[in-house]
Amino acid sequence: MRHPYDTAAGTIVLGLLLTGALAVLARLLIA
Amino acid sequence: MDSLSIDLLLRWGHFIAGVIWVGHNYSSVIQRPNWRALNAADLIDDQSPRFQALLHREHGTFRWASVVAWSAGMLMLWRYGWLMGAITLQGTLAPIGIGMYIGTLMMANVWLVLWPHQQKVLGLKPASIAERVRCSRITHLSSRTNTMLSIPLLFFMAAGAHGGLLAG
Repeated sequence: MRHPYDTAAGTIVLGLLLTGALAVLARLLIA
Repeated sequence: MDSLSIDLLLRWGHFIAGVIWVGHNYSSVIQRPNWRALNAADLIDDQSPRFQALLHREHGTFRWASVVAWSAGMLMLWRYGWLMGAITLQGTLAPIGIGMYIGTLMMANVWLVLWPHQQKVLGLKPASIAERVRCSRITHLSSRTNTMLSIPLLFFMAAGAHGGLLAG
C-alpha cells in the first residue's frame, strides 16, 4: 500500500496540514 | 568574546547546521521524489549501482549537523533564560517551544530510528538480506518524516521570532 511519504507531494501536503493544525492548536490553547 | 558576538555565532551556526541537515532531506525529495523499493539483488551484490549510490550518500555529515543545530538552539534558549518557558509553552515562548519539541523529535528520529536501520541496510551491522530490505523501507519513512516535520518546524521558528498570526 502506498504511503503519503512515497511521493514528494504527499510529504509536503502532510507537512502543510500538520503546520496548520499545530498553528490552530497553538492559537486556541496557548494564551 | 562578548555576549552579543556569542549570540551571533550561535544563530549563524544554528542556521548553517540546520540547512546542512534538512538540506539532505530536501535533496532526497527533489532527486528521488517517488519511493522505489530496494530489492534483494541490490544488496546481494554490493557493487550494484543502487547499493553503491546508497553507500556514497552515507557520510554522517547531516547526522552531526543535527547535533550542532539542536545544541546551538538549546544553548540559545538557555542563554536567554527562555528554556523553561519554551519547554512549558508559556505565552510568547510557546511558538519556539513547539519548534524546539519538533526539532528534538527530528534529531531523535535521525539517531534512534534512521541511523540504526541505515547501518543494517548498508551492511555496517550484520543482518539478513530480507532484514536489510525491510530496514530500507523504515529509513525511507524516517527520512520523509523529518522532511515533513521540517515544514512546521520552520514555521514555528519563524513564528517565534516574528509572532504574526500566533501573537494575537
